[in-house]
Amino acid sequence: MFVVTLFQSNSRMAKIGPLIQRFAQQELRNSNAIFSLGLYLVGITYLIYLLGGQNASDSTWNTLLWIVVFFGAINQASRSFEFESGDYFYYYQTIAGPKTTIIAKLIYNSLYMLLLSAAAWALFSLFYGNSVYNPGVFAFGLVLGCVGLSAILTLANGISERSGGNATLSSILAIPLTLPVLKIVSAINIQAMVGAPLEEVYELVGSLFALDIAIGLLAYLLFPYLWQD
Amino acid sequence: MTGRIYKALGVALVLYSLVYGLLTSIPDLPIIEQSIRNLFYHVSMWFAMVGMMAGSFGNAVGFLRGENLSKDRRSESLAETGMLFAFLGLFTGMMWAKFTWGAWWTNDPKLNGSAITILIYLAYFVLRNGIEEPRKKARISAVYNIFAFVMMIVFIGILPRMTDSLHPGNGGNPGFNSYDLDNRLRMIFYPAVIGWILVGTWIASLRYRIKNLSQS
Repeated sequence: MFVVTLFQSNSRMAKIGPLIQRFAQQELRNSNAIFSLGLYLVGITYLIYLLGGQNASDSTWNTLLWIVVFFGAINQASRSFEFESGDYFYYYQTIAGPKTTIIAKLIYNSLYMLLLSAAAWALFSLFYGNSVYNPGVFAFGLVLGCVGLSAILTLANGISERSGGNATLSSILAIPLTLPVLKIVSAINIQAMVGAPLEEVYELVGSLFALDIAIGLLAYLLFPYLWQD
Repeated sequence: MTGRIYKALGVALVLYSLVYGLLTSIPDLPIIEQSIRNLFYHVSMWFAMVGMMAGSFGNAVGFLRGENLSKDRRSESLAETGMLFAFLGLFTGMMWAKFTWGAWWTNDPKLNGSAITILIYLAYFVLRNGIEEPRKKARISAVYNIFAFVMMIVFIGILPRMTDSLHPGNGGNPGFNSYDLDNRLRMIFYPAVIGWILVGTWIASLRYRIKNLSQS
């Protein structure tokens, strides 16, 4: 059914929806992975709680949240292309092509990371109390940060997958690249925690938005070159 | 012949900046005082590094367009030379910081930017070493190089402007900025930048030729 839909639709946009659906199905079938990610989130949050995380100051709370999200994202992204290795690579190459696949992958990974960070925020609020005064701005920063972070991780993981490297290589490649995004998003989040309105963080939000666009565009333009054999 | 001209010009400009950087008279500024001369030796390293990395980026783009392996060797040579300038910039900066700020390392946006840049390009070399097949190595590392260069520009060019820095000319510190910029300093600083970029090109071209020889 999936293959038929893809072959029948000529336009690239029409193929993205089914592809995202396909990625989600693969993820759900492999429910062990989701389960372990959830267990990681709960486990690490509770570990921080035991070590005194409920007394954390605003900036420590924010740092801990991003560290938890970051390693969850690395974990998720390191499996991002496992279905595209080997024979699956030729399969996607034939039915969708690299540009469609990367768009679908970027959207899918952003959504996945958004769920991950929302879950982390919920767990943090449960255990340590929600110290965010302006949740709207905080959530906005979280969305923009997740999009940028997942795009970087997706490309870095594609690189390490194609070079036959291991999970460590993708972390080495991704960690320095993610720092600009993390730096800006944590600045926005700290503003949101002390209750700053959206007008006060326009500059930060604008630059993060521009950075996201640039990262997404680069990933889109560069990915086809990775996908040559 | 043109090869000789740019090398001679590079050496002459570097020598000029080294000698006149010590001889020239300087503006009388508090705190920074005589250490303002580090402008010629430290800041020019970062300009040369960005020049080398931009060349490396350009060659990476060139490789992806034409799949010409010599472009990949050029790109790698330029990135290696850029790393040399990054380390030189780091050491000259640390010496200066110890005597001006009292610490070898501070949590300053520009310092963070340079540390991240070095990590990014070290990761680039790790990536290159991990792939055997030359064409695949060239293509994948070109992709990373392009992405890394853009992120580096964001980190060293845009982020420091959003937060205050301890560096001269930032956050109200005296230094080389629009209102107390001094023509005497410019007359040595700009030649130093151009000279180091030319010398860097020379170093990179030597590395490129060594790679060509070891290839054949």
